Amino acid sequence: MTTLFQQIANGVVLGAVIGLVALGYTMVYGIIQLINFAHGEVFMVGAYGGLATYTWILPRGMRGHWQITLPASMLGGVVVAVIVAVLMERFAYRPLRNAPRLAPLITALGVSVFLQEAVRLFYPDAKSARPFPAMFVGGGMQLPVPGGQVVLPWIRVALVVIAVALAVALQMYVNRSRMGRAMRATAQDRDTARLMGIDPDRVIVLTFILGAALAGVGGVLYGAYQNTINVDMGFQNGIFAFTAAVLGGIGSLRGAVIGAFVIGLIKTLGGQYLPGGTQYDYVWIFVVLILVLVFRPEGLFGEAEKVRA
Amino acid sequence: MNRITSYLRPGMALPLRLIGSVLVVVGALLPWATFVLNRGAYPAKSTLQYFDLPFAVTGFRLHVLLLGLAALVVTFAPVPGRGRILRGLGWGAVLVSAVNVLFIAYYGGGLGAVTVSEIPAFGGIVGLLGGLAVVAGAHAGGIEEPVHLPTGLPRPAAWAVLLVSYAGLLMMVAWTLTAGGQGGVANPYAGAQFLSFLGFAGGLLAALQGAGVLPWIGRLSEDHRPFSIVVLLGCALALPFTGAGTDYWMTVAANIGIYAATAIGLNVVVGLAGMLDIGYVAFLGIGAFVAANLSGAVAAKVDITLPFPVAAVIAAVVAGMFGSIVGSPTLRVRGDYLAIVTLAFGEIFVRTAQNNIGGLTGGPNAIPGVPPVTIAGTGFNEPITIGGTKLPSGVLYYFMIVLLVGLVMGIFANLKNSRIGRAWIAIREDEDVAKAMGISTGRIKILAFMVGASTAGLSGAVFAHKLGTVSYESFKFLESVTLISAVILGGMGTIPGAVLGASLLFVLPEKLREFSDYRLLLFGLALVLIMRFRPQGLVPDKHRRAELAGEDFEGRPLEESVTEQAHLPPAGAVLPGEARA
Repeated sequence: MTTLFQQIANGVVLGAVIGLVALGYTMVYGIIQLINFAHGEVFMVGAYGGLATYTWILPRGMRGHWQITLPASMLGGVVVAVIVAVLMERFAYRPLRNAPRLAPLITALGVSVFLQEAVRLFYPDAKSARPFPAMFVGGGMQLPVPGGQVVLPWIRVALVVIAVALAVALQMYVNRSRMGRAMRATAQDRDTARLMGIDPDRVIVLTFILGAALAGVGGVLYGAYQNTINVDMGFQNGIFAFTAAVLGGIGSLRGAVIGAFVIGLIKTLGGQYLPGGTQYDYVWIFVVLILVLVFRPEGLFGEAEKVRA
Repeated sequence: MNRITSYLRPGMALPLRLIGSVLVVVGALLPWATFVLNRGAYPAKSTLQYFDLPFAVTGFRLHVLLLGLAALVVTFAPVPGRGRILRGLGWGAVLVSAVNVLFIAYYGGGLGAVTVSEIPAFGGIVGLLGGLAVVAGAHAGGIEEPVHLPTGLPRPAAWAVLLVSYAGLLMMVAWTLTAGGQGGVANPYAGAQFLSFLGFAGGLLAALQGAGVLPWIGRLSEDHRPFSIVVLLGCALALPFTGAGTDYWMTVAANIGIYAATAIGLNVVVGLAGMLDIGYVAFLGIGAFVAANLSGAVAAKVDITLPFPVAAVIAAVVAGMFGSIVGSPTLRVRGDYLAIVTLAFGEIFVRTAQNNIGGLTGGPNAIPGVPPVTIAGTGFNEPITIGGTKLPSGVLYYFMIVLLVGLVMGIFANLKNSRIGRAWIAIREDEDVAKAMGISTGRIKILAFMVGASTAGLSGAVFAHKLGTVSYESFKFLESVTLISAVILGGMGTIPGAVLGASLLFVLPEKLREFSDYRLLLFGLALVLIMRFRPQGLVPDKHRRAELAGEDFEGRPLEESVTEQAHLPPAGAVLPGEARA
């Protein structure tokens, strides 16, 4: 029994990370109908940005204080991720705004490979996995479950709390603020939005910035709880996040988060209980991805529930 | 570019062209490096020579000299398309000079290596400036309409022209392969020499294109199609008899051939039917694993040994069956969602192969010891002797792969112009309209996947026997990206494009060993840049060109040809087309 609850807890933590990435996927798709394949790489770049901040910018004396290192690393990760995302939008995607639809997807593929290789080649020692500092208080939360207890390290608890808080904040921003309204208008009809005095380019850049910021936070937190990062992490988690976004109905913020938790649970529980074990947990996610895309491309929650970013 | 050319006046054309060509010639004769570089003399020991041996320049300086002399001749000769020719020659000189200046500066540790040190060496900089002046002069004089040479030659003359052209092509390929020699520790300057040669060849080809020669040859070979195919095949088979006939280049050429055939198959799915498949390399893998299992490899799970042709056919059929499975979602999914579905299938293949599913793939241990193909007791990996000429080992594989690529090219050229091929193109252009025209889109789309997949499966069978080891590592996502890059670089929907793209993407890493780490970085960048600046690829398909680049069949911008149509001749005038009718 404990194993089941332990795996559920792991799945929720993984789901929180995936959710942070999935929000960026779903927002960009909602606005410009682009599968930003390179978004997973933004997540990865964010993690390396956080590590770089910790290694080179923060004074060594501060390393023991999580109150400083964690926010500072997250800020560093966010800054790097946002810079990369803005450059990518400006130089790779914007010139293709009116091109045939496969063109931006191929570009996204190219950007993804480029970013992955750039980090691998130019970040010191990035050719193999890099250790990532713990950055948070040790120990964990003890959750009593039937038949024993599950220990959830505090960093994981923090991760879930931060992810959910950011998702709620984003939802409120999109629903309540003036720019949020502009985003929704652009998503519904770009030309009409333009007539209403909205600059679609600004809205699109803002969308990329918001998505990248969340991915940057996600990258740093992922590193802090896995204690290791590598250049492949973006590709894998990017696929998970995309699957989550599709599962929840792409374009929907709430759907992306719910989809992310579902994917997290499928991976951990599938790895535990399905034949083949953890060797095949990726395969189950890809199977889910194919089934959803083929049979329910509008997502599990259907068109009516869809709140476009 | 336009902002720069707007400063040029027609009056500057002649002086710029003259000064430029003279500078290029002079640059070729000046020394290029100030000292002997520490890893040996930079290419062919030619860089330290001064005027003492003015006409004995070799290597890249010979290339620069030839380009300069050609530009000088064209400046005064009244040939059609002069601006275009000069532009090509000028860019050639710029590229060769720039590549060599950069490399000498890089290996020599700074700009001092190309300016003044033990001796003054301004050759590279003079050549570079001269080349730029020629380009500027070409633009100042105006770039003419593309030259259109008439093609109504009598058959013997046309055949002779084609023979000479294809022989030239063969020499070009052999030179390109051998340019700079094999990369690696023994020859640190191979990459530089190769890139420099590419610049030279590119400049020459651009000049020929400008003179209207290349399009002319293209039209001639269209008119004499069967003859061209025979000659081209003969040329490909003759490659081992040229300077490129070494063990090493036969291996490289055979690998290129395998990937070229695979890329042609991918081109059916992506280029013709317009469905992006980013997990395509899985079919190559399926074919390779099937063939490995049926050929009596040591670690094979299936304990039967079939002759190669049978195993290859089975591999193609099995891959085709998987192709129809992967293609079946096309009934419901379109566009970018479909691309993600294919990616998911590709990843599932890699994961299951990595986990050695059913003991069929060997997992991390791979399947080693796949025996080479044999015919009449001779292994395809052994060297052979034909008529007193000793051919390198692997040459039989090369021959087989040339025939395979030829076969695949022939099939697809016919398929493209068949009812099915037109149906694919119709689906690519607009699926709903295609359906309304009575095409059963679902079946035709799945057929595209099946055809593409079985081509890859067939290539996979050759791959397994050629390499002798089949590992899931060879079929990862990045290999799919490489294949997609090959198709897109070459030009979506064109068969020569796929071959050219695959050749470039597999020759370049062989040549540029010192940059092999940057291979994927450059592929990624290339994908972005191609989609941005030349989405139609190097060899554009006619329809694609109109669609993606806004140019008509002749390469003119579409708007121009529309305005031309607006200037209709007055009523009663005889249109050129009608005169012939």
